[in-house]
Amino acid sequence: MNQLILAVLILMAGAGLGLLPVRNALRVACGLTSQVMATLLTLSVSVPVLLGAADITGAMPWAYPIGALHFHLDALGAFFLTWSMPMTLLGAVYGVGYLRAYLDGPRHLGVHFALLNMVSVSFLLVYTGEHAVTFLFGWEIAALSAWLLVIWDYSNQKVRFAGFNYLVSTHVGLIFLVAAVMILYTRTDSWFLDDFGVWLARNPGSLRNAVFLLLLTSFGLKSAFFPFHSWLPRAHAAAPAHVSALMSGVIHKAGLYALVRFIFLMGKPDEWMGWFLIAFSVVSALIGALYTVGQRDLKRLLGYSSTENVGIAGIGFGIGCLGLSWNLPVLVVLGFGGGLLHVLNHAFFKCQLFYAAGCVYRSKHSVDMEHLGGLMKQMPVTAACFLIAGLAISGLPPFNGFASEFLLYSGLFSSLGQDLWVRICLAVVAAALAFVGAVSALSTTRAYGVVFLGQSRDNSLPIGHESNRWMLIPMVLHGAGTVVLGLAPMWGFALVAGPLRLLLRGNTDAVMVNTLLVAHHSLSQIGALSCVLLLITAVVLWLRFGRRRSPVLPTPAWGCAHAFPTHRMQYTGTSFSHDFAHQFKNVLGLVQRGRAPSGYFPQSSYVVTDCVDAVERRLYSVISQGDETANDLSGKLQEDDSRFAFGMALAGIVLIAMMVFLLEGELP
Amino acid sequence: MTPVLQQLLLPLLHCLLLLCMPILLTGVVNRTTSWWAGRRGPGLLQLGWDLRRLLGKQSMRGDHAGVLFRAAPYVGLAASGLGAAMVPLLGQFAPLQFPFDFVVAIYLLGVARVALLIGAMDVGGAFESMGAARAAGLGSYAEPALFLLLGSACAATGMTSFADVIGRLHQTPLFALMAIPLLLALFILLQAECSRVPVDDPHTHLELTMIHEAMLLDYSGPELAAMQFAAAVRMALYAGLMTTLVNPFNPWLQPLATIAFSVCGMVVVALAVGCTESWVARLPMRWVNHYTLGASVLALLGFALVGLGMFGT
Repeated sequence: MNQLILAVLILMAGAGLGLLPVRNALRVACGLTSQVMATLLTLSVSVPVLLGAADITGAMPWAYPIGALHFHLDALGAFFLTWSMPMTLLGAVYGVGYLRAYLDGPRHLGVHFALLNMVSVSFLLVYTGEHAVTFLFGWEIAALSAWLLVIWDYSNQKVRFAGFNYLVSTHVGLIFLVAAVMILYTRTDSWFLDDFGVWLARNPGSLRNAVFLLLLTSFGLKSAFFPFHSWLPRAHAAAPAHVSALMSGVIHKAGLYALVRFIFLMGKPDEWMGWFLIAFSVVSALIGALYTVGQRDLKRLLGYSSTENVGIAGIGFGIGCLGLSWNLPVLVVLGFGGGLLHVLNHAFFKCQLFYAAGCVYRSKHSVDMEHLGGLMKQMPVTAACFLIAGLAISGLPPFNGFASEFLLYSGLFSSLGQDLWVRICLAVVAAALAFVGAVSALSTTRAYGVVFLGQSRDNSLPIGHESNRWMLIPMVLHGAGTVVLGLAPMWGFALVAGPLRLLLRGNTDAVMVNTLLVAHHSLSQIGALSCVLLLITAVVLWLRFGRRRSPVLPTPAWGCAHAFPTHRMQYTGTSFSHDFAHQFKNVLGLVQRGRAPSGYFPQSSYVVTDCVDAVERRLYSVISQGDETANDLSGKLQEDDSRFAFGMALAGIVLIAMMVFLLEGELP
Repeated sequence: MTPVLQQLLLPLLHCLLLLCMPILLTGVVNRTTSWWAGRRGPGLLQLGWDLRRLLGKQSMRGDHAGVLFRAAPYVGLAASGLGAAMVPLLGQFAPLQFPFDFVVAIYLLGVARVALLIGAMDVGGAFESMGAARAAGLGSYAEPALFLLLGSACAATGMTSFADVIGRLHQTPLFALMAIPLLLALFILLQAECSRVPVDDPHTHLELTMIHEAMLLDYSGPELAAMQFAAAVRMALYAGLMTTLVNPFNPWLQPLATIAFSVCGMVVVALAVGCTESWVARLPMRWVNHYTLGASVLALLGFALVGLGMFGT
């Protein structure tokens, strides 16, 4: 416990000290040093807990309303801490490279790195908080520091708007969370999550359902499930690359952590909760995947793929809930195991993708696909990292995304003892998952092909170059993780096994060991097959190119009788997705504008297709309509009529009294 | 046969089928279309001779194409080859069998597809990218259909591995109900994934109407051979799946009958592909995806029939 408290203190001290020095380099050094120390301290505690050591508990005296801050680090928290802290450190390292231009400038970099430290502090609080207030503290620290990190470029109005949008959304989420906590507090008269758990486990019924829905809404907003995702593409496009990476890959996993934590606390969720979670997640995954197809902005595209991937993880948690409520340990392991493994895998490849996008932005000053192209030759390392992560995010072997999706598929096809309609529903979910995988393969190919292959589409942009080492090393490390977890997914599963044992507590040891072995065994097979695939590919390539028997000669590409093709004749990202996106134009909100060529001697003409967020557009139109309606109503009222004001106040009091009365009557 | 011999012989036969049937089936399809057109047509093993000729040639690449362009055909071939080890061709037998191996097999075919797309995009030409975009769209419609199809077969048999699910379906009482929709679904998937009429026309010479061929435009020599062979292997896999679905023999007890049935069945499928190709015009590009979606609908129908059948018993 002492190590964890020390880590928090070091991080806060690093954040404070980082503000003091005169030079930016020293400020940054303060932040990084404290991050390294805190990460090492945390890992020294969390890894043993994750691998089976006893839980760690502790308390710190605190001011009146709280009394004492209670901490409890169990395997689930340890699982999230074990990769969140090092990844935040890597993000900070990347940040040094990304903001290198500012190192010698007048801008104070200490604040930025202090905020990154605070993000780590929030992980320590959220993942170990046993006291609901500690948990909420951590939650709020994460939200505020993420907001301040997003608006790094605050002189730009669009960035400020994106940040504000995020701030509002995350606090709407907080309202739901606080509401749920208040309900639980009134029922248990305690702030402890364990007491909440006892009450939740013993009192199934409408109030528990309400709590579940409130929590799901809050965590959905945090992790950007559809339809609560509208803040996400803006925030990810506006933030610096490492902040987008950390938000998408690490910070918003807190929402999924909290979801799993409350399911753990609930013990045995109702069946409908599993189905609801699956449906909610499938819709998120589908819509997220479809939206990636239409995007032009590389970082917006990656933002939408976060929605897709939390959806995929959510499907796993839904299957796990079904397993819990049907008492099928195999389903619990496959569902929660697949979901948690996907969370880990997603953290690896999503940060990698954002880092690659950041490298592209730093060298080309643009992430608009339609202006990029041919970057593979100028930035080979970045290109390789983007390709690996892109294949992983499409769930293709031999990379890590496939391993977690394989567990999910196993879960979806495993419900053999169940009714037929259950099997049909789960097979349809499997088909939806396959569709999501294929669509994200489409958008990966599109993004990679347009940005990194072919030739540059806009010669006015600077020529690309590989980024500095501060940026490359974190990206390559993430890439190594993606590959290693793909070739040896059982190592990833070894990390997930700890939380799963917590879930299977109710079963006998034999059942626990056997079910974990089933998943471990199938993942070993997947790992072996991935290695074989790599091996076969290497052998075939060596046979063909290894001895340089016949060189491949360059020749003009097939141009269909165009003798002098130019870079402007290449396919664009919009044309690549045109056919597919137009089949889903009702979902995607495609907006086309342009001027068609006309007349005998047509002059300039253009066409632009934008994929705007349908939810966001709808949200704003509803808000503005509501605003108008309120304006109309208030215009009709006579403001200076005191009788009316008194009357309304009385009606309000009566309404509240009635609600209290009714609820008191209904609830024990 | 002795067990040892069986353990060696069946995988060997599986590999042999994978090597020979793609060539033979392509020959049968081409021969059939030629016959309907009143021509004599190329020999049955023409693809084999073509591949041999291509392997001896020097290859070219587009100006801007890089490493991926050259590597893609072989990645595709390796992934299809590994995937093919899990697909049952000889009744209920596949060299690699484990629970839910069909997920791996389908995703390996997905790897092959993505390799093809990325290789095509590496050229940077508009036609190659257009072909890639179309193929990627088609693939997203085909994959869910396969999962639905295997899901309904899983539900009917209660088995978990690809070979058991497909190979033992004929032993279930629901087989008579399910066979026709599932066969039709597989046939549509074959046409979509192996770029056959009415989805794609392998003989077209107009780039704007191409899907698969557009991606091969810049390939030559051994790379082209790898691409063509991988495409032919894919057709053999689907034909093999359709045959296995109705193969009544047990590969361990009646090996000769199983092999004979498999080979004949695949040839019949190729004949059907050739006949369809001769009788039907290809669909307009905007209907192609709807046609592929038909496979999903048929697979769901298979599910409905499983439900009806279980209700009946």
